[in-house]
Amino acid sequence: MELAIGIILAGCAIGAGLALIAGIGPGIGEGNAVAKACEAIGRQPESKGAVTSTMIMGCAIAETTGLYGLVIGILLIFVAPNLFVNILKNAVGK
Amino acid sequence: MRIDPAVKKETLYILGFSIVLSVVMELVFYLCGHMDYTVPLGNLLGVIIAVLNFFLMGLTIQNSIGLSEKEASEKLKLSQKLRMLMVIALAAVGVGLPCFHSLAVVIPLFFPRIAIAFWPLLNKEKGQNPADEQTLD
Repeated sequence: MELAIGIILAGCAIGAGLALIAGIGPGIGEGNAVAKACEAIGRQPESKGAVTSTMIMGCAIAETTGLYGLVIGILLIFVAPNLFVNILKNAVGK
Repeated sequence: MRIDPAVKKETLYILGFSIVLSVVMELVFYLCGHMDYTVPLGNLLGVIIAVLNFFLMGLTIQNSIGLSEKEASEKLKLSQKLRMLMVIALAAVGVGLPCFHSLAVVIPLFFPRIAIAFWPLLNKEKGQNPADEQTLD
């Protein structure tokens, strides 16, 4: 029983760590978007307002991808262990 | 430091939309019979995290305009990592402490994404031309 609970906890912790890898992607994407926007503003300075607004919204969308991973990680750390351990205990009890 | 009008405008838009969606979310909690003091507290924390994250992102973008492509890219990557750590820490506090409702903390993190989904529709209705907006030079 203790071994099974240990495996569940380890699985949840490893899964949460893997889920947070999703946080790397948005950083790269936002970096590329801003680099290209700087290039565009350098070429056409009069379009600064439009480019800035669109870029902020675009970066926020990219950011959400990382948040999905974050939420999965939080659920795996705070919610999943209790849930799975209870399921295990119920299954063993029956 | 002056805040770019574009950053200010978009942050206010996200804040307004988040408040509207918060009211809807609390209504759903109330109708489901799960309403207690932890829901508004969690909701408040979630909205603060989401809007602060958006505002800091806007400030970083404002400051990175005018830099070289590589510098801007590196600056935003570093900013994203630090902001993600901030969100993880604050969300973990919200989910871990019993005075905050876990769902009410996590759901508002996605409010900016929902607000952005409506952004083109609202801009179209207002007939705004983003190119006419004023920005700091």
